Amino acid sequence: MLAELGFIATFLAFLAALYAAGVAFHSVRVRDDRLLLSARNAALATFPLLGVSLGTLLIALLTQQYQIAYVWNVTDPNTPTFFRVTALWGAQAGSLLFWSGIMSAFAFGTIVLNWHGQRRLMPYVIVYTMLTLAFFLSLSLFFENPFERYWIMPDNNVVKSVFAVGGAVPPASARLAETANGLNPLLRHFGMIVHPPLLYMGFVGFIIPFAFAMAALASGDLSTNWIRATRRWTLLAWVSLSLGLVLGGRWAYDVLGWGGWWGWDPVENAAFLPWLVGTAFLHSAMIQEKRGMLKVWNMFLMLGTFSAVIFGTFATRSGLVDSVHSFARSDIGFPLFAFWFGITAVSIGMLLWRWRRGDLRDERRLNSWLSRESLFVLNNIVFVMLFIAIFWGSFGAPIFSELFMGTTITLGKDYFLQVTPPLFLVLFILMGVAPLSAWSVTSLRRLGKALIVPASLAALIVALLALLQPAEPPVLLIYGIIALSGTVALWETVRGAMARHKSLGESWYRAFTALIARNRQRYGGYLVHLSVAILGIGALGSELYQQETQRTLAVGESLELGGYVMRYDGFLGGQIAEDGRIMDIAQVTVLRDGREVARLRPRRDFYPNAEGMNSMTIPAAHSTLENDFYVLLVDWETISARSATFKVFINPLINLIWWGTLLLVIGTIVAMYPDERIALVTAKTAQPSQLAGAKA
Amino acid sequence: MKSLLRIALGLVVIVTALSAVQLSVHAQDNPRRPVTDDEVNAVSKKLYCPVCENITLDTCGTLACAQWREEVRILLSEGKTPEQVIENFVARFGDRVVGTPVDPTLRALSLVTPWLLSTLVLLSAAAIFIRWRKESAAAPKASAAQPSVQVTTHTLEEYRARIEADLAARR
Repeated sequence: MLAELGFIATFLAFLAALYAAGVAFHSVRVRDDRLLLSARNAALATFPLLGVSLGTLLIALLTQQYQIAYVWNVTDPNTPTFFRVTALWGAQAGSLLFWSGIMSAFAFGTIVLNWHGQRRLMPYVIVYTMLTLAFFLSLSLFFENPFERYWIMPDNNVVKSVFAVGGAVPPASARLAETANGLNPLLRHFGMIVHPPLLYMGFVGFIIPFAFAMAALASGDLSTNWIRATRRWTLLAWVSLSLGLVLGGRWAYDVLGWGGWWGWDPVENAAFLPWLVGTAFLHSAMIQEKRGMLKVWNMFLMLGTFSAVIFGTFATRSGLVDSVHSFARSDIGFPLFAFWFGITAVSIGMLLWRWRRGDLRDERRLNSWLSRESLFVLNNIVFVMLFIAIFWGSFGAPIFSELFMGTTITLGKDYFLQVTPPLFLVLFILMGVAPLSAWSVTSLRRLGKALIVPASLAALIVALLALLQPAEPPVLLIYGIIALSGTVALWETVRGAMARHKSLGESWYRAFTALIARNRQRYGGYLVHLSVAILGIGALGSELYQQETQRTLAVGESLELGGYVMRYDGFLGGQIAEDGRIMDIAQVTVLRDGREVARLRPRRDFYPNAEGMNSMTIPAAHSTLENDFYVLLVDWETISARSATFKVFINPLINLIWWGTLLLVIGTIVAMYPDERIALVTAKTAQPSQLAGAKA
Repeated sequence: MKSLLRIALGLVVIVTALSAVQLSVHAQDNPRRPVTDDEVNAVSKKLYCPVCENITLDTCGTLACAQWREEVRILLSEGKTPEQVIENFVARFGDRVVGTPVDPTLRALSLVTPWLLSTLVLLSAAAIFIRWRKESAAAPKASAAQPSVQVTTHTLEEYRARIEADLAARR
């Protein structure tokens, strides 16, 4: 019953999406508002319908309906409830449906919130969002159906089908439960409750600005309307993607057991690429809003961001690249590639069409190398260069060498650490300088003067870091550049508050809150800059000054690393957890300056029923702001456990990455928070329907 | 018969003794030095598992990788340098086992291409910018740059005015 219900709801959502796209397009051609309203209602209906689909799949997972192949594949009777929920997106079929569900939620929100304000663009927004949704639902219906059930045919063959086929009987429930696979051990981590949904929200969220950009191109409304309408949607997608990326790093740090958080893996990079173009767009969109410039460029960046999203999805889900993060090889590779190619070709074609017609002419030109807009453009160029370098390393070079040179190559961390650091450094320099420069034109002298206080603060931070972690002069200089990008943001905020405090006589608290409330976009952005600086210092420190050692210790023996002493106290072998996994746990004590600071239990988990990779090395860590003392249990003497081998890392400043991310979220929330006055103005000036005058 | 047996036994002893001497001489020529786990990991970190998914050899948990790590240890203990060990793996499994190809053509292709493409982007942007500046210079003064308030502001009062002006422009 659940399978049929889920399938029918998904199929109805598919039909509704197709209907909405077709009728919305037709409504523009015949200028009929009733048709457009019908299309809108169909588009809105996709969200509750997919809510039903996802709800039924979730119920099937929670109530252990193992006849459904997806449930059998990702859970077993020992799976805890928490992981039954996360199993919803734990494999290809479920995650595709979940993806469509999020997309319909975004479309629903956009239609409800922007219907009155953007009537001219909405028909096209419906067309593009619903066509994309219909495509992803077709993958769920025809390639990766999560509602298929197992049936035993009269000739004893097992087939998968949603509905009962002639003469087939369902397998015995007990047998199904006994043989169920269980969730991939890699996905049994607390972060899985938030990491994939956030990543999907980041990916899928960009459909909204993309659809508005395409709507602007199609409708001819090429003002800043589409940028203003989608600023918050873009920020929501961007912050979700940022969080998804960092939480993915945290998952790797906690689960993959290699002591780091970012491995430049092709799948990590596939998610990072749209982030780079999306971040460039967030900056250049400001120039269009304020100066009426870079219209073609902004369109290009937004179309490129969504194209990168679909390409990343194709790379991750098709088996194009091998990675611990990717899904298994699947038949959806070709349809996804065709969709990516089609959507990219159509969007670039439309952009060129409008460009050649002269519809995207800028209102102003750049006229100084040192204006804020020039520095923003330079920032965009560096983002694009980073995109090129990372795309080439992850996909370009491996595909090129295989196709044209007959050789398989892997460009790993070595490559990325040779190519990307100079570009990141230039980005940090621009982050420090651009906020201090003026629109239109500025002078070097003025810029230098404005840098005095932030530079002094940055020097102070560098001195502090040098005390914490002795470093070479070039590294200190890089720390300084990164710190400057944060102190400029901080100082600009303090300066603004000082101005209010002195000239308006406001209290410091009032001055700060009023300043931020007056321009949330700017000061939210500054908070984000500050967070990126913190994150950058954490990433640099943990990368450059990571220490590691591997040693075999007998019980009672110790090893020393980076001022810490670790003593091996004992071993607990064969501990069975509630979910059926078998844990081998080492017990160690960590001391610093002769004082005990932590007792840690690094362990190895073994999943007897799991297919493929069935053991996991789970690290244990003692965390401080200064560093992480991170221990992995590598091996042990199996019979007596008198000795065990440990790999120990000191990861300096790594916790700044997690704290920086928290600040990034706060900053984005500030920047996104609706301004009541603007909301009122928008409400009062709601656009009449562009189809008005027809058959409304 | 007994004497034949004695001769045969004697020959076995002599051959064994000679072999032992030979082995001992060989062992003295190539003394195996103890290799620490850290040395093995330092090399394994630079090698990618030839069969797994973008995982370096030092972290891969498969049995195959454990054996390859042992090979690294043996090669190092035989006196091979880390570079020689890496070359050995590349010769057997190809350039996919290293993070950047060892083959000069592939290496150049990998490392130069992104910079080449980036330079093209940069040059294109510079050309567009220069063209814009020329167009701006040719345009009448009225449409020229309108310097923002910030250009001449220094005091806090003026700074606050600039913030308000920027905000007004946004609206």
